[in-house]
Amino acid sequence: MKKLFQSNGGLLVLIALLLAAITLVLSLILSGADPLANLWGVVTTPFRAVGTAAADWAERSFSHRYREEVLADEVERLRQELAAAERQVREGEAAQEENQRLRTLLELRQRRSDLTDLESATVTARALSNWESSFTISKGSNYGIQEGQCVIDAYGNLVGVVREVGLNWATVLTVVDTDIDMGGKVSRPGEQISAVLEGDFALMTQGRVKLSYLPEDIQLRSGDLVLTSGRGGVYPPDLVVGTVESVENDPSGMTRYAVVAPRAELDTLNQVFVVKSFDIVE
Amino acid sequence: MTTQDQVRKWLCYALGVLPVWLAETQILNRVPLFGVIPVLLPLAAVAVALWEGARCGAAFGLCLGLVADATYPGAPGGMTLGLCALGLLTGAVSQYGVRQTFVGYLLCSAVAMGALELVRVAWCLLTRLGPLPAVALVAAKEGLWSLCFTPLIYPIFKLICRLVGSRRPGGAYG
Repeated sequence: MKKLFQSNGGLLVLIALLLAAITLVLSLILSGADPLANLWGVVTTPFRAVGTAAADWAERSFSHRYREEVLADEVERLRQELAAAERQVREGEAAQEENQRLRTLLELRQRRSDLTDLESATVTARALSNWESSFTISKGSNYGIQEGQCVIDAYGNLVGVVREVGLNWATVLTVVDTDIDMGGKVSRPGEQISAVLEGDFALMTQGRVKLSYLPEDIQLRSGDLVLTSGRGGVYPPDLVVGTVESVENDPSGMTRYAVVAPRAELDTLNQVFVVKSFDIVE
Repeated sequence: MTTQDQVRKWLCYALGVLPVWLAETQILNRVPLFGVIPVLLPLAAVAVALWEGARCGAAFGLCLGLVADATYPGAPGGMTLGLCALGLLTGAVSQYGVRQTFVGYLLCSAVAMGALELVRVAWCLLTRLGPLPAVALVAAKEGLWSLCFTPLIYPIFKLICRLVGSRRPGGAYG
């Protein structure tokens, strides 16, 4: 029995019992944690700290990664919503612009009911030459535009005349170009003075047009309104060309001419209207 | 040079003309300084003729002239003939006289613009477009303003020539 006890660790059991007894007694006597637990805690705390830190790091990384993926999905969803919203805004802006264009056209048609057929067009290319004043518009023969038709702006001011027509484009000579030649008149209350609007190279470089063949006894004033006369039925009458800026003498000194400042803003035009047909007023 | 090299060379030159043409037709015409728009295609024709000689210069000028006639309003065919002649003459002069430096290019460009503006003035007077003082003033401003762009155009074509251009005996890259 004794040998069985000794060979199977009986001594160890006794030592364990003794330690347990000591621990119990000390834990009853001393306050705080029992010595064994305290010793265990002291020894394992650094290891526990390392392990906890590693576990926390792993947990944070995982959750960070997981949150990243969730956030990335959220960002993608919001981007798509934003793109759809921006598309709607653009379509809305385009619709608003078209609405404004159509309103302008309607107002113009109501104001000028004699201009029976107006075709709106946008300016696609500005002047490319210093030797003429012209621009290109976005419509051509495919919309029934023909050479010689008048072009006006949204306010009914004369812009120019169609010079060249392609399938889907047309070149417009502005009112200050040297090739312009049409009947004009100075309109005053109770009085109309007939003259001829013609282009002049020197005035074209200044953005002005010449009103010549003025009656000798007529005194023009700065600010007098100049309109198209419509004589001959080639161009519509009563289109505003501009205002008289000054009256000059011809180089020969025999005749006078007026310098007219166009009312249409030729350098900043974006939308114009081609007068395809109009009522001829006798 | 093989045919492939030739094709590549002329494609590169054409690509070099593209920014020049775009600048003239889309940017500079919206902001005319001194009231005039510069004319840059003749300067491009002169640059290529300076590097490539008379025959190639004439051919390139012919192609540029077709583009100019399609783009600029005015007498159809005038720029085709004019730029072809400019290319031919510039190439001939560069083969025997002018060095391919910036000064040489500037000189050729000045002569080319002067000739171009003289022809324009003569045409305007012939067609009674306007009085001589007004026409001459616009021509002078157009020519001088166009020449101000030579420092920008010269490096473009010099670079292209260095990369893909022909090597002419005795010719030096400036």
